[in-house]
Amino acid sequence: MRIEKHPILEFSNHQEIAFFYNGKEVLGREGDTIASALHALGIKELSKSIHYKRSRGFYCAIGNCGSCNMTVNDVPNVRTCMTKIEQGMRVFSQPGKGELI
Amino acid sequence: MKANQVIIGAGISGCSIAYHLAKKGMKNIVVVDKSYLTSGATGRCGAGIRQQWGTEANCILAKKSIEFFETAKEELEYEGDIEFKQEGYLILATDKPELDRFSKNVKLQNSLGIPAKLLSVEESLKIVPYLNTSAFVGATFCQTDGHLNPFKMTEAFYLAAKRLGVQFFFFEEVKEIIVENNKITKVITDKHEIDTSVVVNAAGGFAKEIGDMVGIDIPVFSENHEILVTEPIEKIQGPMLMSFTQNFYCQQVPHGSFLMGRSTPNQVHSHDISSSWSFLDEMAKTICHIAPKIGELRVIRQWGGSYNVSPDKQPIIAEAENLKGFYIACGFSGHGFMFSPMTGEIISNMILNRKNEISPDLFKLNRFSEKELNAVEQSVV
Repeated sequence: MRIEKHPILEFSNHQEIAFFYNGKEVLGREGDTIASALHALGIKELSKSIHYKRSRGFYCAIGNCGSCNMTVNDVPNVRTCMTKIEQGMRVFSQPGKGELI
Repeated sequence: MKANQVIIGAGISGCSIAYHLAKKGMKNIVVVDKSYLTSGATGRCGAGIRQQWGTEANCILAKKSIEFFETAKEELEYEGDIEFKQEGYLILATDKPELDRFSKNVKLQNSLGIPAKLLSVEESLKIVPYLNTSAFVGATFCQTDGHLNPFKMTEAFYLAAKRLGVQFFFFEEVKEIIVENNKITKVITDKHEIDTSVVVNAAGGFAKEIGDMVGIDIPVFSENHEILVTEPIEKIQGPMLMSFTQNFYCQQVPHGSFLMGRSTPNQVHSHDISSSWSFLDEMAKTICHIAPKIGELRVIRQWGGSYNVSPDKQPIIAEAENLKGFYIACGFSGHGFMFSPMTGEIISNMILNRKNEISPDLFKLNRFSEKELNAVEQSVV
């Protein structure tokens, strides 16, 4: 879901950017964070709670809570609400605490 | 009120002493702490336990303590998990002289039954693969060293002691100890007056001040040592990594976080336990040099805690020579947590006039005034 019409703000046509989500190529828009792009694609589950493996989604959106931590280009625990998408970026959901090596 | 023994300090040492005394049949034991359980150095410690020491006294204390930890959960009937893991300590030598010293240490450790061994750089990489090979020339490793959760371990002692009838008074500060005719008669706190003839000083960072209350000068000082913890990550490191010359220790705890600390050079002697930016800076530089991969993790928080340091970096576990009934367990120089089972064992035997397996001379208070000081422990961070 995206806001296409707004009484005050204008959304000019942003360029589309292709990146990979769990190995599948998907499209976001220029200026999207990873989390906002996934949210717009209807992907609500970004991570799972470490202990009980419950779904965790878009939450604080300012890089504090860790709810959106994902592995991006092999780097674990990237705060996807704060990281903008780039062409060809490889984004994976993390089963647990993330793997450094 | 009356008590047979008053123990000052509800950290790991005080709780272990209380438990060991009660287990051996003593009744009416009181533990007084000015704050909460583990509020001092215990709850701030690096939580490692190791046997790789440079002096005989420390080796024996450590070995026997680890034997206790191995069955502690059952012995103390603790329902929780003390998070005991024995995945070793990997101690890095950064130059040839240090490696030579380690080689001597390993001989001493092996002679006392501690299964430490010397490792080459290649052998070390098999245990921790992401080490910077240009940062060290060799290492020692002891598999039975490891890690314990200090909060859980202290609680295990505390609950076991309570079941045996020990009374704990928290948020209660000892203000005065009354001595009459060279005998202890009373401990006065801000809430109670306790008649007693035996006091155990297990006050950690404040042990010197407790000694001053009875006119005994304990040659220890307190000094702030800082630690930081990172975000958790899936397990990549079994052993505690450590180097004396590089001045650091670094462990991945079962939760997944990395816990690391170093000592601040020329630290002032005080009760300050604040956090500094310079520690964060130096710690980060050190770990990025030794194990750059760990440098990629984010720091979650940092804190400080008091080392209570003695002149030879070995503990004072003794009855004061000049005041019978005043027992001292302090000066652990940063290692009171890992020695705690033996602290409890030795002090309780002293109080009950039972023989200790290990010579009490090694830990007596007046050893520092003698001409020949014990060997000074070099293996400390």
